[in-house]
Amino acid sequence: MKVKTRYFGEIELDDSKVITFENGLFGFEEYKKYALLYDSEDGESTSIKWLQCVEEEGIALPVMMPTLVKPDYDPIVEDDWLQDIGDWNENNISVLVTLTVPSDLKAMTTNMKAPIIINTDSMKGAQVVAENPDYEIKFHIYDIIKKEEN
Amino acid sequence: MLALSRKTNESIMIGSDIEISILEIRGDQVKIGIKAPKNVPVFRKEIFLQIEEENKNAIAQEQTPETIKELFKL
Repeated sequence: MKVKTRYFGEIELDDSKVITFENGLFGFEEYKKYALLYDSEDGESTSIKWLQCVEEEGIALPVMMPTLVKPDYDPIVEDDWLQDIGDWNENNISVLVTLTVPSDLKAMTTNMKAPIIINTDSMKGAQVVAENPDYEIKFHIYDIIKKEEN
Repeated sequence: MLALSRKTNESIMIGSDIEISILEIRGDQVKIGIKAPKNVPVFRKEIFLQIEEENKNAIAQEQTPETIKELFKL
């Protein structure tokens, strides 16, 4: 299927790559179909991917693996949140967090409180709320990624 | 918005599947019990609003993928 994307122009996307979010994302509940995109030059292990809504070109969010900036990331999530993604286990789920990049790059944050869980077998996803009281909606990562360079 | 007054131990039904109960009233704090099907998420409103806001912020970002990649590569 042809998909108009926000950052990568119009692309050809295999139907099998579409991820269904039964409840959409918080604030965007009416949009259910997404694809996880990345620059093919980088390969699949790239740090940053883009969750692109295939129904609405303008809706695209940068996402990344939380363990890149918080290796002990372990969200406590009530089963009810994961009802819609089908049978899942350690091996078929992908946990991602959204990246917020303000114009001041040093204020870059990830949303550790509301991760995005994708079941790669069922190709279903959900944005959930982590019970961990210390997980922040705005977790500052600039210093962390800069420190890792050194 | 529908406004109903309830006393402790009274309930409200929303549809046939969702029940809201008043469990306890202590001063200005009300303890509310919620029975809902597993696929209906239930959470405090301020959390919902904050997460919605953050999703909007993530979408509104204006940097190119290249710029963001550079930050992570270095």
